[in-house]
Amino acid sequence: MRAKSLGKKIAFYVGIVLVWQALDMASIWPDSVFPSPYEVAEDLGYGAADGTLWIGIGTSLWRLAAGFAIAVAGGIMLGIFMARVNTVNETIGSIVLGLQSIPSVAWAPLAIIWFGLTDAGIIFVTVAGALFAVTINTYTGVKSINPDFIAAAQNMGAKGEQLITKVLIPAAFPYLITGFKQGWAFGWRGVVGAELLFSFLGLGFLLNVGRQLSDVSQVIGMMIVIMIIGIVIDGLIFKRLEDKVMARWGLR
Amino acid sequence: MAKLEAKNIVKYFEHDGKPLKALGGINFTVEDGDFVCLVGPSGCGKSTFLRIAAGLQKPDEGQILLDNRPITKTGPDRIMVFQEGALFPWLKVRDNVEFGLKIAGIPESERHQISDRYLDMMQLSKFANSYTYQLSTGMRQRVAIARALVMDPEILLMDEPFAALDAQTRDLLLVEMQMIWQKTKKTIIFVTHSISESTVLGNKVVVFTHRPSTIKKIIPIDHKRPRLVEDETLIPYQREISALLRPEVKATEDSQ
Repeated sequence: MRAKSLGKKIAFYVGIVLVWQALDMASIWPDSVFPSPYEVAEDLGYGAADGTLWIGIGTSLWRLAAGFAIAVAGGIMLGIFMARVNTVNETIGSIVLGLQSIPSVAWAPLAIIWFGLTDAGIIFVTVAGALFAVTINTYTGVKSINPDFIAAAQNMGAKGEQLITKVLIPAAFPYLITGFKQGWAFGWRGVVGAELLFSFLGLGFLLNVGRQLSDVSQVIGMMIVIMIIGIVIDGLIFKRLEDKVMARWGLR
Repeated sequence: MAKLEAKNIVKYFEHDGKPLKALGGINFTVEDGDFVCLVGPSGCGKSTFLRIAAGLQKPDEGQILLDNRPITKTGPDRIMVFQEGALFPWLKVRDNVEFGLKIAGIPESERHQISDRYLDMMQLSKFANSYTYQLSTGMRQRVAIARALVMDPEILLMDEPFAALDAQTRDLLLVEMQMIWQKTKKTIIFVTHSISESTVLGNKVVVFTHRPSTIKKIIPIDHKRPRLVEDETLIPYQREISALLRPEVKATEDSQ
């Protein structure tokens, strides 16, 4: 079953490259607009050889990790308070949905004014992108906890911080993971978007450099790298975490 | 000696925006070491009474005294066993059983010692490292009972814990529950909708009326143990309780 699905995937990607190659060989568009797969691979190879690609990936991932960590910590706290304290929900809660509808890159101008062209500014954009997805899913998760779990825990003496860390967070965890998945994806868009605007290292910066040099191979190459990182993080980290939690919580 | 005294407990529910009187003044006394079963028509508020005793809900009038002190909030001196167990799926069986001990800050070696004893008593030792979704419903209720017993509560409050079990599993647990009671000498209040269950378990059966509920009668049952569901000596009690409940169930249905 797994082998079959893997075979289909490989066939699909080989197919894409072949179609791409065929389109290139048909010479419909000039090479400066539409490069061949080989040219893109070669461009990525140069980047890998001189280290700029790895520095770009490392920088972007570091910013993502920092922003995501802050968003997770803040989002969980905010979500729990919204779910447990009515006043918080009626006040802050009402604005969270609105804030989530702001595309993360729209925070970039504010970040530049507040933090300048620094790592902190880009991390701020990342946090702004990821925070509210984590918050909203935490809120939903805590609201959906079986009330008997909370009653039983309180009955056994749990309150305050212990109730939060030992019951509310683990009980809401399947929802929290949904929040993490959405949050990191928004955060990743935030990182790349901010790097485009900030022009200060990272994959978004390399993407923009490609445009400035009219190097279409680099532009497409960077987009592929950004996508691959997305697939890898989702599959390697979040999918596994989700599978584990779903099994453990007896949800499948 | 009176362990728990219910004094004129009144509780309203919200029903279609209007207050509905569920408990209309509950008065009774549970002696130390009693195994009291509460029976009544569905919706009469017997589970609500249990939650008030647990401190999970507040009465609108009256109070419940535990060892002569009024109950104001929830706490581990009155441990509740829930109908669906309310076990934590993210914890292994042992960690579920030790949950309250951990909250109380008891060190790990001591926790293990205590949980080992009750896991053994509930025949759960070989499932200590399982997750609850891997267990049958009957096994899960054993875990829930073990989790309650480790807290060594003054009183055990059980809310229809066997309602979701198949008949064979339930009959087995009915016998074990009596043995646990004799071994631990715990005071137990046990809510059930099953008349036979109440006569097998209780040394007193408290019959609730329909809403607003009061106590209709308290029936003492002094029979040797372990009693079985099929014991013929229990039939007269079951008939009596049945006769007491019939008009209450009828009144409940008529009011709906």
